[in-house]
Amino acid sequence: MSASTLSAPPASTLTGAFTPEVFAAHLARLPDLPAWWLERKRAAYERFAALPLPTRTDEAWRFSNISTLTLDGFTVPTADATAVPHHAPIGIPKAAKLVFANGRLFSREPLSSDLAQRGVIVTTLQEALTQHGDLVREHLLAQPSRFDSAKFTALHEAFLSDGAFIHVPRGVEIDDPIGVFSYALGPDAAVFPHTLVVAGENTRVTVIDYFGSTDDTEAQFAIGANDLYAGHGAQVTYIGKQDWSHRALSFQANSTVVRRDARVQSLNLHLGARQARHESLSQLQAPGAFSEMLALTVARDDQEFDQRTLQIHQAPNTKSDLLYKNALLERARTIFSGLIIVDPDAQKTDAYQSNRNLMLSDDAEANSLPGLEIQANDVRCTHGATSSRIDPEQEFYLQSRGIAKAAADELLTFGFFEEVLNRLTNDDLHDALRTLIQTKFKK
Amino acid sequence: MSSLVIQDLHIAIGEKEIVKGLTLTVNSGEVHAVMGPNGTGKSTLAKAIAGHPDYTITSGDVLLDGQSILAQEADERARAGLFLAFQYPSEIPGVSIANFLRAAVQARLPEGEEIDASGYYKRLYAKMDLLKIDRKFTSRSVNEGFSGGEKKRCEILQMAMLEPKLALMDETDSGLDIDALRVVADGVNTLRGPGLGVLLITHYQRLLDYIVPDFVHVMYDGRIVKSGDKSLALELEAKGYDWVKKEFALANA
Amino acid sequence: MKPLTDLETIATPEVDEAMANPVIGIDQTAGNFKYDVKYEFDAGTGLNENTVRYISGVKKEAPWILDFRLKALQTFLAKPMPTHWATRDLENINFDKIRYYLSSGQKPKRTWDEVPEDIKRTFERLGIPEQERKYLAGVEAQFDSEAAYSNIKDIVAKQGVIFVNSTEGLREHPEIFRKFFGKVIPTGDNKFSALNSAVFSGGSFIYVPPGVKVAQPLQAYFRINAENFGQFERTLIIADEGAEVMYMEGCTAPKFSTSTLHSAVVELVALKGAKIQYITVQNWANNVFNLVTKRGVAHEEAEIKWIDCNIGSRLTMKYPGVVLKGRKARGEVISIALANDGQHQDTGAKMIHAADETTSNIVAKSISVGQGRSSYRGVVHIPKRLKGCKNNTECDALLINTNSRTDTYPAITVRGDRNYVQHEASVSKVNEEMIFYMQQRGLTEGQAMSLAVNGFINDLARQFPMEYSVELKRLIDLEMEGSVG
Repeated sequence: MSASTLSAPPASTLTGAFTPEVFAAHLARLPDLPAWWLERKRAAYERFAALPLPTRTDEAWRFSNISTLTLDGFTVPTADATAVPHHAPIGIPKAAKLVFANGRLFSREPLSSDLAQRGVIVTTLQEALTQHGDLVREHLLAQPSRFDSAKFTALHEAFLSDGAFIHVPRGVEIDDPIGVFSYALGPDAAVFPHTLVVAGENTRVTVIDYFGSTDDTEAQFAIGANDLYAGHGAQVTYIGKQDWSHRALSFQANSTVVRRDARVQSLNLHLGARQARHESLSQLQAPGAFSEMLALTVARDDQEFDQRTLQIHQAPNTKSDLLYKNALLERARTIFSGLIIVDPDAQKTDAYQSNRNLMLSDDAEANSLPGLEIQANDVRCTHGATSSRIDPEQEFYLQSRGIAKAAADELLTFGFFEEVLNRLTNDDLHDALRTLIQTKFKK
Repeated sequence: MSSLVIQDLHIAIGEKEIVKGLTLTVNSGEVHAVMGPNGTGKSTLAKAIAGHPDYTITSGDVLLDGQSILAQEADERARAGLFLAFQYPSEIPGVSIANFLRAAVQARLPEGEEIDASGYYKRLYAKMDLLKIDRKFTSRSVNEGFSGGEKKRCEILQMAMLEPKLALMDETDSGLDIDALRVVADGVNTLRGPGLGVLLITHYQRLLDYIVPDFVHVMYDGRIVKSGDKSLALELEAKGYDWVKKEFALANA
Repeated sequence: MKPLTDLETIATPEVDEAMANPVIGIDQTAGNFKYDVKYEFDAGTGLNENTVRYISGVKKEAPWILDFRLKALQTFLAKPMPTHWATRDLENINFDKIRYYLSSGQKPKRTWDEVPEDIKRTFERLGIPEQERKYLAGVEAQFDSEAAYSNIKDIVAKQGVIFVNSTEGLREHPEIFRKFFGKVIPTGDNKFSALNSAVFSGGSFIYVPPGVKVAQPLQAYFRINAENFGQFERTLIIADEGAEVMYMEGCTAPKFSTSTLHSAVVELVALKGAKIQYITVQNWANNVFNLVTKRGVAHEEAEIKWIDCNIGSRLTMKYPGVVLKGRKARGEVISIALANDGQHQDTGAKMIHAADETTSNIVAKSISVGQGRSSYRGVVHIPKRLKGCKNNTECDALLINTNSRTDTYPAITVRGDRNYVQHEASVSKVNEEMIFYMQQRGLTEGQAMSLAVNGFINDLARQFPMEYSVELKRLIDLEMEGSVG
């Protein structure tokens, strides 16, 4: 051990570009905040500044490329954005839209007056902090960080300036998805997107979170998070589409709370960033709760996708079903590390966890860590992981029908994705996502 | 007028020779049945002709319309007009029958030419009606979770859509009860005609009650040891394969 | 769950025979006794450089071995406890209170008559001489730090097979053993392999010449007799080209109120085309920390198979591994773990693929009873640009009581598109319908539960030699007796 690592590292290496001065400037630019929130942000910054970066020996970071994680060289944007991309990334009708650029509201398409009259709220966190303070306080970043990444979640909390707040009151069902768009603009931009969804009793809502950069070559840093709360009997569908610049570093911490008889379906598409860590926590808190966790990744070039998941069964008769599929091309790396935790009282748990890696290159690397920690005996818990190329028998079957090898492989790869997309009940959404993923694959 | 000519074909899996000099010609309009005991090389013959990479053709030739196909990949052979109905069709999760067949039809169009989608569906539905297959079938993933009968019907539907010149049908009757067998046989009989040659591989006579062959060949130990008309199949049924084994042993003595 | 008919194969007349004359080594109650033994050699309590020098001195070792031990001691002291991933129960080991070397002499006897009476009585009570007569090609019986008895049948010795303890092996056959010693498991592999490397004593050194197939198994029996003792045997087995050997080990200790440490290092080398099968039935008393490193290297077309059964101990941490170094090498781990109240079986397997067309197979089954905890940890590694490699892993856990616990922590790395890896795991409880069915046929709930648990591991238990599988069943019956309320 060298002498330099024995002594405490200088504060600057712990905070990188996110120095106390930058934090003070960030606070100064915000409008008046409720005292509780300001206090939490300050405390979060203290934690961020004190915590070390993860190291190679941290179990929760096993196989991650720690050496390429950096806090240096980023800036927290100060100027208002002048333009965002015109394209409609998921071109289906929306019930409402919020567009954020560099953490500030850029534009919005409000709800229909009917939904607004029924009490549905789709607004910014900044507005919600003043108008719906209690709800925000109850749910915003209220769940514990469970992946040894408190440094990053604290950074998010400290620098979170604005995001989406969606509240669906009891009994309201919304057919069209609500779209939240978060863009990072400009070189070295650090952004902190957040989406908070509170679905009340017996509600139905679909939220699409879209993350993108205006320029695919900018080195950027995105530290995002979401909070999904599904109340008694609610049905929440969440789509996250991560398409940051291919030079971006992305960290995303998602948290889902599922209450009695509620059902949350989340599908995360991982396409962008050079290195992306995605953490997904599902807490099944009451009988009848069901969380379906889906992910599709097209990993190519030198991209690294690091996915960590937790399915925590805290009550009896709960169900979770996880299916994470990665297609690996070129020199890409993926890590899937998932854990099903069944608490001692959570009898009759039904939990499933599956990671499938489709190896499409001889230089790609897939790491799979599917885990179980079971403390109740009357459960049905299984997990599986496979890493393999396209099945040669399937390939031959297609070829024997006259389809050339390259076309056969493409068809089989899309079939591999389709197994996940098929879980979506909204056909328009299904079609739109299929197009997106096929486009990335064909690039 | 098409023909599949198999000339003194030898096929090995790894080091082991399975088919040991087989000669046979199938012309369009003809239905040939190849019968034989298990392990005699029948399925090897079908898969090797279709171009499965596990099988090596060590000598001999296979000609389709006078051209050798041995240098071709499996998909080239298929586009040349060869169709293999599998004994155990692969399950292909996530790929619907409609998309799969569309890709197969597209593959047969000249480069740059796009499939006419409405024409394709019209033809697909017509074939399905012809084969009495429910239209909902097309949205299911290819063979995934299918019963034995559904898998075989799916094979027949593909054959109907791809209109091959020569069909190799590998143990098409295996895993089928009598109702399913009748449905599949009806399908084959519907497609039967002057433009199609069929090589029907089977262990049992019972399939031949429904698809009556023009020629019957008995295969044993990697060769055809006896050929005749449909009455040979009945004789085989009556006397059993031991009869063939004995005759073959005598002939070689 | 297997149907009842499959279970009946175990319930053969041999059961009664074994009951009457148990092959002891699996039944914990049978191993729970001790005789007072006067030790001539005692390294004292605690560990420092003098302890290491003492052990090396009484063994009259070559200077390179003392050097190896002293370096290992430094490595051990420098390495932290692996509690960032392992259980914190490890912190309860007090290295200063352990006695690291106890023996009555360094040279094992070749006949049982020469073995000192009190030690001989121990092994007779454990049934070792009788097993030797019945079906073993050779036996080594270790009592605390040294083998009290070691013998190999003439017919096997004449084939050129060497079967000695580690002290003898390094002294008499350095040309064979030095080349591989500490190469499969380097000293610094983990904290406990370093500890073993510093204070190792006993264990078997085996060499099987090219083409020799040893027909009967070789067996080692490890007995801990003294309180506050640490046993650190070291085993190295080399099967030369085309050779085949089966090695079995058993162990017991009396149950002391203080903790005992057992920390072995076992290295296997299977040269081209060789086959090694290594069978362990671990039945330490519930106060033993059993922290063992086991690994083999399989060269071209060689095969290494670990059959690892863990029933005893307070905490076992053991992940037998195979480095598949040559083309077409095969590795297999068959693991059975049973964790009852106060026990944590943290077991698993490691498969490191390092050549084309290598295959590995892991089947792990665990049963947690009462507040017992069983954990599976696995590593499957297929690095850069290999082709035709395959791994199949299956982990099944059975939980008997509402507060039983199981964990599964595999780590699988695959590079490239020419290999195939599959991992499946499941957790279940005993099927209530099946229990009811059996009860309706007149069995008690406990009997039904025993049958069900035996059925759960039946396919694996069959891979054990008959003498062991019969005893395994008997032990499970014992463990299950108190499990249903």
